Amino acid sequence: MPTVRLRDASEYPKPTQKLFEVAKSWFNYDFAEPPAMSRVMAWDPELGALHGRAMKRAMTPGEWTRAEKEMVAAVVSGVNACNY
Amino acid sequence: MAADAPWYEAALLVGVTNALNVVADSPLESLEPARPSAEAESVFAEIRDFYDRAEVPSAFRRVAGDPGYLADLWGAARRVFTDNRLTRRHKEALAFAVSVTTRSPFGTAFHLGELRRLGVGERGVMEVLGVTQMFSSYTKIADTLQLEPDMGDIAPVDHSPAPGGAAPASRAADRGRAEPRSPEAP
Repeated sequence: MPTVRLRDASEYPKPTQKLFEVAKSWFNYDFAEPPAMSRVMAWDPELGALHGRAMKRAMTPGEWTRAEKEMVAAVVSGVNACNY
Repeated sequence: MAADAPWYEAALLVGVTNALNVVADSPLESLEPARPSAEAESVFAEIRDFYDRAEVPSAFRRVAGDPGYLADLWGAARRVFTDNRLTRRHKEALAFAVSVTTRSPFGTAFHLGELRRLGVGERGVMEVLGVTQMFSSYTKIADTLQLEPDMGDIAPVDHSPAPGGAAPASRAADRGRAEPRSPEAP
């Protein structure tokens, strides 16, 4: 169980909620609520925007496809023993 | 990569990569035979050929005192790093990411060398490093807050049978139906 209460998207300021739309578009999936990680990163919108941009830059297709990069992300998460 | 097969392949690669790294990064130089047996030398020749380099990686040299074990370990390593559903180039990227994440000096240097040898440029290396770094951040944020998986519905379950096997009758009828699956990435 999370150690903090995850706020619903509606509890965030309107400008921040726009970030959730970006996340929905990124995953191309209509979440009932934005993923927990998106809501955590939105807690500090300045950090969230910078971190999110760095993530998107890293995940954007280049010499590797998005799918190949998703698999790199998955193995990194796996060896970090991250359940999320 | 909606099917399970490439993910099985990736997981097996992660395991073998870590197995090689833990031996190579440990202070086990003294285990390397001064004069490897003829059987070990035969395996070494295959290793040199596979990696197109004169020196046999220490992960293999250190287990050469048991040539039978060396042969099996090498066979497993060659199997997981050979082109299959995932390309050898992509597999080296995964191994590099695993090695960086587990702070393996041997694995990081070795797989970086392999990436370059296989034609991956600096940009390609930076892309893998960027993903590795970003997800080393997300995973620790998630763990600190003990976040629970919430992206399991993105991809459907793959009901195809194990290689060479047959799908259970109950599953065959459900094939193609979308169901929640465990998450693949944060």
